[in-house]
Amino acid sequence: MATEYLDAGQAVGQASLSGVVGSAPPVAQNVTYERILEARSEPQNWLTYYGAYDGQRYSPLDQINTENVKRLSPAWVFQAGTGGMHAGQSTYSFEAAPIVVDGVMYLSGWDGWVWALDARTGQELWRYKHAIPYDVSLCCGNVNRGVAVAKGKVFVVTLNAHVIALDAQTGELVWDKTYGDVRAGESATVAPLVVKNLVIVGSSGGEFGVRGHLDAFDLDTGEHAWRRYMVPKPGEPGSETWPAEGEAWARGGGNCWVTGTYDPELNLLYWGTGNPAPDFDGEVREGDNLYTCCVVAVDPDNGEIRWHYQYNPHDLWDYDSNMENILFELDGRKLLAHFDKNGYFFVLDRTNGELVRVAPFVDRITWGEIDADGKVTPKVYPEKEGEPVHFWPGPAGGKEWTHAAYSPRTGLFYVPVQDVGVEVTRRRREFKESIPYWGAAVVVHSGTREQENMAGSVSAFDPSTGEEVWRWRNELPMCASVLATGGDLVFAGEPTGEFNAFDARTGEHLWHFQCGSGHHSSPTTYSVDGRQYVAVPVGWGAWTEGFIPAMLGAPAGDALFVFALPE
Amino acid sequence: MATAKEELSAVVHELGLDKQNKATIGRLLAHGGLGYAEEGSDGRMRAQVRIPPDELMWDPSVLVMPHEGDLEIEIFNDDGNTHCALFPSNGDNQFIWLPNQSRGTASLNLDGPGYYWFSSPIGNDEGRGLLGAIVVQGDAPPEARLDRPDQPRP
Repeated sequence: MATEYLDAGQAVGQASLSGVVGSAPPVAQNVTYERILEARSEPQNWLTYYGAYDGQRYSPLDQINTENVKRLSPAWVFQAGTGGMHAGQSTYSFEAAPIVVDGVMYLSGWDGWVWALDARTGQELWRYKHAIPYDVSLCCGNVNRGVAVAKGKVFVVTLNAHVIALDAQTGELVWDKTYGDVRAGESATVAPLVVKNLVIVGSSGGEFGVRGHLDAFDLDTGEHAWRRYMVPKPGEPGSETWPAEGEAWARGGGNCWVTGTYDPELNLLYWGTGNPAPDFDGEVREGDNLYTCCVVAVDPDNGEIRWHYQYNPHDLWDYDSNMENILFELDGRKLLAHFDKNGYFFVLDRTNGELVRVAPFVDRITWGEIDADGKVTPKVYPEKEGEPVHFWPGPAGGKEWTHAAYSPRTGLFYVPVQDVGVEVTRRRREFKESIPYWGAAVVVHSGTREQENMAGSVSAFDPSTGEEVWRWRNELPMCASVLATGGDLVFAGEPTGEFNAFDARTGEHLWHFQCGSGHHSSPTTYSVDGRQYVAVPVGWGAWTEGFIPAMLGAPAGDALFVFALPE
Repeated sequence: MATAKEELSAVVHELGLDKQNKATIGRLLAHGGLGYAEEGSDGRMRAQVRIPPDELMWDPSVLVMPHEGDLEIEIFNDDGNTHCALFPSNGDNQFIWLPNQSRGTASLNLDGPGYYWFSSPIGNDEGRGLLGAIVVQGDAPPEARLDRPDQPRP
């Protein structure tokens, strides 16, 4: 006899079984390019990834200051948790920089999550979940670094290399474009950057021997505007820096997985590029390997490279140069500052890429030396097959992707510093698409914290001299972005969960709060109804084995903490 | 003693890893058969999955989509206990409650190659065996692929 089934109905969105409101006020409708250009003139908001196009991660807000920061307390907490099986279950990390527009926060998480939250109360207004393949190739964990907001849309990339536009009021999908090949080992983790009518995104996957690229899409339609590969094909400018024979260029890396900065007067994007592939076996890719480990000045209208500066020619240490190039002015010159994985602090003339100053910013640099003229002299690197070499900084760098900040009030840069070494043994391997392509066995100083020979700091540097002005020492490397404010405060989280405030002028440690999990994200600040808040995503994970293996056992987390002074 | 890959299914069966409360307490994940979604003239794919009596598994537990796109799933709970289903889908995960002897549907969108887990997220249904995979075949679209010669694959 046929079974008479009870009608279970139609499956429903999981959000409908939660307290989510379902819609957000239409505040993003009027976020235009012109407003983003003047982002710092509306300090109540954090309109773009770095807070403004210059990448300074500085807010003029000063309600919270050196005098009252000791009273800073949690205002609300948002927790996402996890359900079912997802990619990188042991490596997910909360790395985003919260964007805030007129009282609404837009935030991305790991594994395709995007949320709109009430920035005053933490109430979940809407959510979007992109379905991520469990088997996507991820070198460095299940992460996403944030969203962009403009013209009523929220833009975000997905781990399976899509860029999508969501309706900022409802979270519903507006358009969806694929810009990478997951079968080649590509993925996407970058926070998009909106410039004019374009949304600009870079690819991830440099550890899998892909060919890194930057792409631009039309904000309204998603139509692809341009792609710029960061490794030239034979015959293109820069191809002379790759072997003439073979296909090293086709697997050359140079991915663009960290958001760039932008100078509207010069109409130039400043985008950092990643390491060449294979990371540690340079013999198969003789030459300087342009445009890997560079800052490239890119015309946003067509993707053309106007100039470049290579921080690590023929990199052999996994020293990506993706990290931010912060725009600032000094003595009337238009400059940029960059703290590279190689342990050196560079100041360049951003009109032409000319080196102005270079100085070390971490104590131990043994891989080689860069002199005052920028001449690079490698000293220790994996050269002979099977022979271990040891060098500082390790592949996570003297500073990881997490960002420095610059305060125009103090004229100082504030840097999260990592002082960790590594042992690398060259082990040549055949290239196979989608398989990691490092060319070495890599052991970042491992073992327990007691056994470790590592350190960290938040350090302040004067760009006019390259000298360190103050340093707050930590026994563990610092690997979360720094935030500077008009209250002369510098905020920085620790791997052990403490969220700290320092005096921007002296480095005095003024306040901390234990968040229960390590920090590997970019805190931001904003205000609603005249009350200043500081928001920090907290969730330890990602490629901990690369920056602090001694913290591989630290608690995971999935919370956004938001702090304010008591009302 | 190592076992050749081609013998794995036989050994799993012999040990009882594909049954409840034999070798292990539950059932080894994704050992409930394999099925294919069928594509209709409207371009949408359709498939059925069932929960058989007392096996705490999805049948099939590996569901194959020939390419990315929309999938309509008809779900039958033939078991003598209540379960549910949580499916991955772009926009939001899709949830349905499945009382004993019930039938429901789910509409999913999956937009690229790879595999995605679905499960019954109550109690420890997932650990006991009610965890299945949706496999999406195909490639990234040509315009998204790298401009380079074909490369060797494993």
